[in-house]
Amino acid sequence: MGLLTKLLFFPIAGPVAGIRWSLGKVQRVVEEELVDDAPVKQELMELQMLLELGDIDDAEYARREAVLMQRLREVREWRERLGMATAGGPVRVAREADDDE
Amino acid sequence: MSEPHIVRTDTPQFPQPALDGKYVYCIIRLDKSRDFGRVGIGGGQRVYTVHYRDLAAIVSDTPLVIYDPTREHVLAHEFVNETVMREFTVIPMSFGTVFRSEDDVTELLRSTYQAFSDVLDKMQDKIEFGLKVLWEREKVIANLERENDEIRRLKDEISRNTASSTYFARMQLGRLVESALEGVQSRYVADIHEALKPVAVASRSNKVIGDRMILNAAFLVERTQERAFDDKVKDVSRRYEELLTFKYTGPWPPYNFVNIKLKLEKAN
Repeated sequence: MGLLTKLLFFPIAGPVAGIRWSLGKVQRVVEEELVDDAPVKQELMELQMLLELGDIDDAEYARREAVLMQRLREVREWRERLGMATAGGPVRVAREADDDE
Repeated sequence: MSEPHIVRTDTPQFPQPALDGKYVYCIIRLDKSRDFGRVGIGGGQRVYTVHYRDLAAIVSDTPLVIYDPTREHVLAHEFVNETVMREFTVIPMSFGTVFRSEDDVTELLRSTYQAFSDVLDKMQDKIEFGLKVLWEREKVIANLERENDEIRRLKDEISRNTASSTYFARMQLGRLVESALEGVQSRYVADIHEALKPVAVASRSNKVIGDRMILNAAFLVERTQERAFDDKVKDVSRRYEELLTFKYTGPWPPYNFVNIKLKLEKAN
């Protein structure tokens, strides 16, 4: 009975549970990627390096830079939409700074 | 209160967007106004000074935009800092820092006056150099195979034997090469640091970029030691000519050695 249950259900239960788990994980990974610009900046630095080493030419650089800039903007938009802090744009000295005076 | 209109660099520009904002490049010590010419970000804006007591912010007019870190923009930012650096000790601002008005820039200088002054004193006549070192992994491995007896022995064994008996030998060889590579890398890095230490005030190691890089460092150097530092870099790169590629850049403003946490908030 025990063995039969395993034989009948394990091959099904296993993968299904697995898929559900990995979907959850994928979604989390996707959300993290949406709001994290560090990987894009890392890629930008690597791209810069390739140009400096002469591995790619200016045209190739420009083409790939445009893709990365688009991704940076998307990250910024997601962060704004989710109410998270974003870099860039006009700033001013924070008001708390005045309290020191 | 009217909402400021934020124009993004990625949207088609309206004809002549208002240049109300101030893009800030760096902070220097200077008590009279100065014009650095039309070299600013966003198409050759005039670069000039905004003052508070004996401090000056180097700025140019800008629409209230978010600047994407494109090569063009970053080079414009760098070019201004390089120009100013020729004559002054600078505290560089991060790329893309935009204030809404001259008053906001003055407020930055006023509220951070002490920290800026202290750092300017510390950085007086010091400049930064960047050194990235990449290796030719294949050549380093070939070198290892010549010099390391154990690696050579294993390689010979593998090339003599038939496939069946070489699986573990191959695995062992792979592991041996990996650990030898790690050893070689840290020896190279230590050696380079050792060579440059006497002519630098300080150094900082940053994360390596890509898989060929073994060192990504910044060095703080006295202006008077610039030549000496130069010579040392050339010396050490000659020593490793065959195996390593040296990417040597500068002089830069001391980006890696100034750490002032500005209390800034979004001005929306």
